[in-house]
Amino acid sequence: MVEQFPIIIIIAPLFGAILIALLGFRFQSLCLPAVVGSLAISLAAAVGAFLKVLEQGTVLYNLSGWERVTTPRGLFSVSIEYRIDAISGLVLMVIAAVGLLNAIYSKVSVTTETPNKVPHYYILYLLLVAGLAGMTITNDAFNLYVLLEISSLTSYALIAIGSRRAVLASFNYVIMGTIGASFYLLGVGYLYIKTGTLNMTDIHSSLATIPKDSASIQVALILILIGLWIKMAFFPLHGWLPNAYAYSPTATGTLMGPLVTKVMIYIMIRMMLSVFGTEYVFDHLQWTNIVVGLSVVAIVAGSLFALSRSDLRKMLTYLIVAEVGYMVGGAWLANSMGMTGAIYHILSDAMMTFTLFMVIGIVITRTGETQLTAFQGLFRKMPITMVGFTIAALSMIGLPPTCGFFSKYYLVRGGIEAGQWAYVSALLFSSLINAVIFFRLIEMAYFHGGKAYGEEITDKDHEHHRSRGKDLDAEPDGTLEKVPCSMLAPMLIAAASLLAIGILNRPIAGWINAALETLNLAQGG
Amino acid sequence: MKPMKLAALLTVIATGGLLLYATSDLPDWGDPLSPANAGDLSTHYIQDSRDDTEVPNLVTAVLADYRGYDTMFETVVIFVAGLGILSILGQGKRVEPLAEPVASEGNRERDMITITTCRLVVPIIQIFALYVIAHGHYSPGGGFQGGVMLGASFILIALTSGLPDALKRMSQERAIFLAGLGVLIYAGTGLLCMALGRNFLDYEILHKVLGGTGVKARYDSMLIVEIGVAFTVMAIMFIIYAVLSSKGRMRGGL
Repeated sequence: MVEQFPIIIIIAPLFGAILIALLGFRFQSLCLPAVVGSLAISLAAAVGAFLKVLEQGTVLYNLSGWERVTTPRGLFSVSIEYRIDAISGLVLMVIAAVGLLNAIYSKVSVTTETPNKVPHYYILYLLLVAGLAGMTITNDAFNLYVLLEISSLTSYALIAIGSRRAVLASFNYVIMGTIGASFYLLGVGYLYIKTGTLNMTDIHSSLATIPKDSASIQVALILILIGLWIKMAFFPLHGWLPNAYAYSPTATGTLMGPLVTKVMIYIMIRMMLSVFGTEYVFDHLQWTNIVVGLSVVAIVAGSLFALSRSDLRKMLTYLIVAEVGYMVGGAWLANSMGMTGAIYHILSDAMMTFTLFMVIGIVITRTGETQLTAFQGLFRKMPITMVGFTIAALSMIGLPPTCGFFSKYYLVRGGIEAGQWAYVSALLFSSLINAVIFFRLIEMAYFHGGKAYGEEITDKDHEHHRSRGKDLDAEPDGTLEKVPCSMLAPMLIAAASLLAIGILNRPIAGWINAALETLNLAQGG
Repeated sequence: MKPMKLAALLTVIATGGLLLYATSDLPDWGDPLSPANAGDLSTHYIQDSRDDTEVPNLVTAVLADYRGYDTMFETVVIFVAGLGILSILGQGKRVEPLAEPVASEGNRERDMITITTCRLVVPIIQIFALYVIAHGHYSPGGGFQGGVMLGASFILIALTSGLPDALKRMSQERAIFLAGLGVLIYAGTGLLCMALGRNFLDYEILHKVLGGTGVKARYDSMLIVEIGVAFTVMAIMFIIYAVLSSKGRMRGGL
């Protein structure tokens, strides 16, 4: 059973989707239990697989039961292989956890926003999670593409299933996403022409026999990078992201915002470390200055765009663009501190954006407003939600003991070690902007808006609140009971995880480092 | 618009230049010794796939066995494509297929000659499709190709007798059910292998169920998964046609 954990992570959501396709249209009440159940199994398997990795190192799983074949030149894989190390184990747990928590969180929003298409929605939802997890776990460059297709197609549909504006945003994303995926596939094609294999480990060992200045290998790396950069919305290739996430149904934005870009960054790191190898990417090519320079632009531009938005979800999507810059830059600093920071930030940023998306989702549904002003006086009206928001905000700014502090600490240290002062200042600049954005919101939520007890509520105020469509002030001291527990609990768990990841930063960084070392040893050759 | 067009032109030129640059050290066209042709992996497939699986068509052996896991997810891709189109354009609610053509299409003459010809042709197409599915082990063919033909036979009915008539034979619910069933056949085969104690999609162990040797079980299981693929492709081809041709209303049609 333990040996089967890697595959269970992927097929649990797949079978959940099949179950809904077969029965969910007739019995709609079956949908949510199928989603929650299969994602819970997936999460349990991910945790189990991760524990096994800690115990015995990298776990390999071959599909279709074909063992590696021996030749005089060594072993090679004839089928598709799964590979879990500490890094992918952590990312897999985050994917399954976010999928599960978001499914519970969005119980209500799915039925209200897509009333006629609940089974459709949940099938696509499960397959998106399966696709993202499959991309993270696979050790096969083409299998990765197949799952990239699945996650892209499902996300196009999950975005467009909402409003009319979402359809146009999704169409943009279809064009951009297809270009990105094609670039990736083209790059893999070049690798296959040059190496004759698709298994990442085997590609890496064949590349060692090919001259380093091979033009086609270099072009393969460029194509794969550009393809993934489009998919992860690396500035200036981010055009599709803000509208797609902002206009999508609540549950889609909350799932895709934290996960999709982060998984793409993981894949970029995977390609750099275990396909092309650090020696080739960093020592031979010397592109560090160029890519880190691009990431500086991404961080600054993303932060400034975020500062200038007054729509809550739009602001959050631009923060994602800035954070993508953090991670791309960190990964390309060419030292292990930066790489650790980038990987650690994948985890913490996924949970931070997840928490923020959930908080903003709650605020938007409760107040009926989508602008920053929706936060006015919320500390009194929704204290528990605001606790989660404050933790996430502090983490985005980068204050201890939240995980945002530690990822920035590693990234900044990596930047200093590499002497990339522009990157370090961009990180600090972005933290400042985050501080401005979030303290403004916290201030609004704490001091503005809602009237204190005994203060006269004027007709004008009444009018104002009525126009919001919700009677928020009916119960001035906490409208908690009005936010369903199914929304609050996942949000609080996610917020707590920010503290947990922060407090556990030493072991997590230790695991990441150990995994990086095995990769480097395998690479160094 | 002009600067954008210029930027697009420059991007295209740069990409083209990049691709030309990459060709400089690619193996020669059709080089029998290139890594993709003579590498360990291709050599293994060419030499050993017959012994491993008993399937003479090595494309099928790679597709449905060595890389069967990819093919399973390709089937899911087809499924997602159909479901995605349905969820964006479709009405969502259950739409009863109309017994009588609605007024808007009443003025459309249904030609007796085309209808009769198609009634004759459709069974032949479907039988040939089954042949293509079953013969994938020996010649070009298999679940994707056969499934497309089956789907085409239903589309032909929709084109000649009208969409309501075709929907009576294959309603939206039934099509989604069949598409899901196809994926279930494929993934379920893999799950059965796990239940019998092997890795996912390790067909060899299925000899306990199918009889014969482990190698023969691989041969037989490939047919089973191809049938699953065919179900999904057939149903999704028809759904895509039905949704697009009726703008999601699932009535009227072309």
